[in-house]
Amino acid sequence: MSRQPETRNQKPETKFTRRALVAALSTSAALLAQTPSLPLPSNGDEELKAVKDTIQQNSQALAKFDLPMSTEPAVHFRA
Amino acid sequence: MAASIPDDIFFASITEINQKLKAKEFSALELTKAFCGRLEQLGPRYNALALSLRVPALKAAKDVDGDLKRERYRGPLQGIPFGAKDLLAYAKHPTTWGARPYAGQVFDYNATVLNKLTKIGGILTGKLAMVELAGGPSYRYASASMTGPGLNPWDPTRWSGGSSSGSGIAVAAGLVTYALGSETSGSILTPAAFCGVTGLRPTYGLVSRHGAMALSWTLDKIGPLCRSAEDCGLVLHEIAGADAEDPASAGKSFYYAPQFARDLKEVKVGFAPVDFSEWADPAARPDFTKALETVRSLGVQMVETKLPEFPYGPVIGTIISSEAAAIFEPLIQSGNVDQLADQKQIAGLKAGLEIPAKDYLKAMRIRSLIQDAVRVLFDDFDVLLAPARLAPAQKITQPLDRPSSDRPTPKEHGLTALIPAGNLAGLPALSLPCGFADGMPMAIQLVGRPFSENLLLTIGKFFQEKTDWHKRRPVLQG
Repeated sequence: MSRQPETRNQKPETKFTRRALVAALSTSAALLAQTPSLPLPSNGDEELKAVKDTIQQNSQALAKFDLPMSTEPAVHFRA
Repeated sequence: MAASIPDDIFFASITEINQKLKAKEFSALELTKAFCGRLEQLGPRYNALALSLRVPALKAAKDVDGDLKRERYRGPLQGIPFGAKDLLAYAKHPTTWGARPYAGQVFDYNATVLNKLTKIGGILTGKLAMVELAGGPSYRYASASMTGPGLNPWDPTRWSGGSSSGSGIAVAAGLVTYALGSETSGSILTPAAFCGVTGLRPTYGLVSRHGAMALSWTLDKIGPLCRSAEDCGLVLHEIAGADAEDPASAGKSFYYAPQFARDLKEVKVGFAPVDFSEWADPAARPDFTKALETVRSLGVQMVETKLPEFPYGPVIGTIISSEAAAIFEPLIQSGNVDQLADQKQIAGLKAGLEIPAKDYLKAMRIRSLIQDAVRVLFDDFDVLLAPARLAPAQKITQPLDRPSSDRPTPKEHGLTALIPAGNLAGLPALSLPCGFADGMPMAIQLVGRPFSENLLLTIGKFFQEKTDWHKRRPVLQG
């Protein structure tokens, strides 16, 4: 939900509507993640390392999003 | 005296079979015996069968015959044999989730969807094979299953798709009239597309998941794989509805009523030409092009569009990995996770425990924006249309996480991320067979607003009145 945070010592946050935020984010093609084609892991250790690398890449892709405090996790769906 | 069941019946629609049962052309018992025999004979050849339920099925069929004799009609699914993905609990019988560590697992209750179907006279003839743990968080090979790789009835050297592998195979091969599958991200649409059957992923929360294995609490859906859009509507009509046992239940019912759908002239269908002209496998393009023209000929307004750009892969990957690792933490910590068949899946579950909370929450926050973006998109469209899968089913030995072609990646993304985007937003989707490439089925997908299943099914019904791809049958081996 778009509850606005109240803080005393901070400047008021720039107010985004979700629609505006979506529009702004949607303009950046760089946000699309590409999965590079790597050689197949040959054992369990390599497999674990490869998966952890993917998780790290995902984390970095997510980190590119600078979200306002008011953007809450998706917890329900509205028809 | 036992009636002989004609071969056509194994590929008949729900309505056709139900009418023949009512007309007493054969009994439910005779029908069930025939389907059970076929499932037991052909199911293992395609690695589609997890467990035959012949004994309870025959008992249920006798009850149906008693009801029909007394003219107690319980709807079109009465007496119809069906199968269920082996992640749905069926009391006092093994429910393996397709995974060796759970081979001996037995529940003492039924999944809500199975109770709903058996209550109206549906005949559950078998539990159907699946990718282990519904494929979560990710897997590399089609062999990621206790029962082996799902073999495609159209070519057993190719994969059936997953994770609802047995459900797709069993419907395509005429082993059941319809099957239940589940989707977290693509697990209904993919086997439906690869096997040439019609698959419906309902809106998140429309169908109860009580009694189903959890892979991702915020993404899991249960839905049907059938011979036609109309059959999907009939099954959804029965399995949808509120359930206090499922915390995600939307509390909504579904009434299949194509006669009350909007005039298709008012319906705006968004599509991205690049999906069909550049992303799609070249062998599939001619039939995809015809499918687009067929949809257009229904009278809808076709308008070009594309998905807003988000890191759909990292978002859904982080959510599934985090939730799956939390759900299967006991399996991982016990070390029994090493009994799984797929090394990538084992590694993915282990590594998932280490995903920081901040990443999971970031993914869920971006998911909020994705839901908003999709809502904005649906201000301009009623339905999105795209290939269900861009290329035909892979060979069963081919790594699933590597590109199957070396064609250059097109610059525009069109609607190619529609499966993760639709799942993240909880949207319904319908996969419709639309042709063949390299001898393998291809399909389009229709995606709509939440709870717009009636519109999707109506378009699907009209599409299938103009085409016969959904009626094609594979030549089965043996």
